[in-house]
Amino acid sequence: MGTARPTLNFPGKLVLLAFAAFGLISCQSGNDGGEQKTGVAGFYDGRVVKWIIPYSPGGGYDEYGRMLAPYLEKYIGARVDILNLPGAGGMRGANDLFNAPNDGLTIGLINGSALVTNELAGIRGADYKIAEFEFLGRIVADRRVLVVAKSTGFKSFEEIWQAGNQVKIGATGLGGSTYVDAVIVNEAFDAGFDIIHGFDSSSIVKQSMLRGNIAGTWGSWGSALDAVDQGTDLVILQSGRQRMPDLADVPTAFEMAEKTSDPARAKAILTAWELLHAVGRPVALPPNVNPEKVRFLREAFREALHDPEMLAIAAKTLRPIDYATGEEVQQIVIDATSMPDDIEQLFVRAIKGQL
Amino acid sequence: MGIVEGMISGFLQAISLAVFPYLFVGALFGLVIGVIPGLSGHFAMAMIIPFLYAMEPGPGVAFLLGAHSTVAQGGGLTAILFSTPGTGQNAATLLDGPPMRNNGLGGMAAGAAMTSCFLGATFGAVVLALLLPVLQKVVLFFGPPEIFVLAFLALTFVAVLGKEDITKSLIAALAGLLLAMVGLDNVTNQERFTFGLLELRDGLQLVPVILGLFAVAEMFELWVKGGSLTGTQESSLSAKETQKQIFQGMIESLKRWWLVIRCSAVGTGMGLIPGLGSAPAAFVAYAHAKQTSKSKDTFGKGNIEGVIAPESANNAVEGGALASTVAFGVPGSSSMAIVLGALFVLGQETGPRMVTEHVDVVFIMIFTIIIGNFIGMVGGMFLVNPLTRVTGLRGTVLVPVLIAIVFTGAFAVERSWFDIGVALVFGVIGYLMKELDYSRAALLIGFVLGFAVEKNLYLALQLSGPYFIFDPIPLTLAVITIGFLGYNVWGIIQHHREVKKRAG
Repeated sequence: MGTARPTLNFPGKLVLLAFAAFGLISCQSGNDGGEQKTGVAGFYDGRVVKWIIPYSPGGGYDEYGRMLAPYLEKYIGARVDILNLPGAGGMRGANDLFNAPNDGLTIGLINGSALVTNELAGIRGADYKIAEFEFLGRIVADRRVLVVAKSTGFKSFEEIWQAGNQVKIGATGLGGSTYVDAVIVNEAFDAGFDIIHGFDSSSIVKQSMLRGNIAGTWGSWGSALDAVDQGTDLVILQSGRQRMPDLADVPTAFEMAEKTSDPARAKAILTAWELLHAVGRPVALPPNVNPEKVRFLREAFREALHDPEMLAIAAKTLRPIDYATGEEVQQIVIDATSMPDDIEQLFVRAIKGQL
Repeated sequence: MGIVEGMISGFLQAISLAVFPYLFVGALFGLVIGVIPGLSGHFAMAMIIPFLYAMEPGPGVAFLLGAHSTVAQGGGLTAILFSTPGTGQNAATLLDGPPMRNNGLGGMAAGAAMTSCFLGATFGAVVLALLLPVLQKVVLFFGPPEIFVLAFLALTFVAVLGKEDITKSLIAALAGLLLAMVGLDNVTNQERFTFGLLELRDGLQLVPVILGLFAVAEMFELWVKGGSLTGTQESSLSAKETQKQIFQGMIESLKRWWLVIRCSAVGTGMGLIPGLGSAPAAFVAYAHAKQTSKSKDTFGKGNIEGVIAPESANNAVEGGALASTVAFGVPGSSSMAIVLGALFVLGQETGPRMVTEHVDVVFIMIFTIIIGNFIGMVGGMFLVNPLTRVTGLRGTVLVPVLIAIVFTGAFAVERSWFDIGVALVFGVIGYLMKELDYSRAALLIGFVLGFAVEKNLYLALQLSGPYFIFDPIPLTLAVITIGFLGYNVWGIIQHHREVKKRAG
């Protein structure tokens, strides 16, 4: 069979060549007055790039996508169409992206940390290899914060740490990110907080905090901002090694790790946790795309994320941007997927809801 | 800004030249989206969001909510004229709308539906305005224990829906509860009833299930029986006759103002409860209308009250659903999550500060719902006539076209081919249920409330322990539920005795 293929492909190649020639001619005739685009830029000129968003319209991922799409269009030169493919906690979109044709016309926004943990845990449906994606870069890293309702009277992490199992921490589904954060921190600090999971969404968790049913919850800094601003919630712990500028008086989990009985182990757990957050929300191509195209799209992505107009909108709509290059994301993903065995087991148990 | 000042300012802005054109376009857009089966308010709003980046808050809010608020209006028309719910919240309208059409009263049903939709929306919006000073307390009233008992109460309304044969209704409702369990359980992380299919991991989606149960099943029936949707009618109504009927329908729903108010109250109340949605509200209102009606027997055979009740409830939900969004910036439903996201795009503060500092924007929302629905009502009336012509077409012509539209709607929600299969399978189930006289409404209520009952029971047990039911509010609600159930069981026993007596 193998020997028959080239001959079979031969007429196909001819047709392709004819099409390419025709395309070039029509491009040239269409571009008479304007600047001539050659190479990869010429390839993208006037094409349509499908951008897979793995969640429903209206969610945080979708909003990032719709905010960025016009600026990607600007620098790629192609039309960027958003394609919402929700399902299986972001895995449906990731699988579709992984199996998309590698012609460089399909890109996808992915939920980095969930994809890493699902792959490590071997969750059914994780049919991608995250390290094989061609990353264009990262829009934002996950900065997670622990918030408590002000009405609880707790003012610092030390206080709730002491209260231990008296403190109820709300979370959404078993194995979801709010849940994994809560159990991982429980483990690192040996805190014994009572984790109440099964809330339908993070908004229902917040409503329960307002009612005083639970004391606090984990979430992204972006989603916590509003309630903190209004003075109903208080951030008492943040992820990351350095404090964020807008949370300069809130300790990081790493600082707190010094106060545990076994700082080395706590830090080992938190390091792995941090790597997951660093993956954040990257944009990727399917594996094995032509390196020229990857280079071109990485550059366009970089420019789009540094466009002053886009940055102004992001600031106005309270959506943090934390760019990292495609190469950096590739390295972060490799690091995140090769954590020490015992730590990996811990995360697998967390994601499977066995902690 | 005081509330009265805010109200005046909000009203003046809503009718100003800067805002009103957007409101108008949005309302008509929502109406058309509603007419198309499967496309919902979500879809309408998601399409509008990209425009908001360049808009001022007032016009933006009016554009977005205008589109969202008329979707149910359009959906009601499709439900009545084509036996196909335009959106999920119109499913209850199918119980009496299409029978009225078959009796040659399609225009009247449409007029009544659109008028009650407008009245219900107005009621919900007014209640929201009245509650503004105490909004936060009202919203915090409902926690997992309360929602659990309330969902259970709504579930007991199933008993009323199928008084004729309670056994069959219970079978259908319990099957609905089982269907709600399909998918990954977020409490135990176990997959239930997924048969190894990844597509079923997130559970069955509401829209394809509703489209299958009602629309596809109806198509099957039309195909099997032949003829046209207007059934035995010689020809479809004349334009003049339709017009006359629409006005009759409007008058009929105005005459039944007390029913409209009660059903709107049901809708608004259920809108306040996070996560219940408008489909169950419409069914509960329908059940309430049937329960209190003097002519219970004609329900399901073309009683106009069976159209007025669900249509006034399904849009009254909006006012309630907006409450927690406005009060805390916490969305009470997935549509409201989109509204909240849009408010961010428009640079608006949400939560308590919105009520204290930007109360005019809240009132723009309120007036948008009212005015938008009015536009939807008037615009809808122009749609009735041309759509009525279509219902006179032969089934062999109409069925393929409608099936194509319905399947596109099922696909569009999540861009999933699998959902077309879901619609098809539920089409067969719905057809069989109709032929064998099982209540599809009971199945749907079980399906929709199954999530709420199960999740909230688990949370209530986690938060308050096994005795949560003895806390004052849940206990009161539980007593009402038991009382209601007892009253119905008693009614059924009486009914059976009478039947026996007559037979003997």
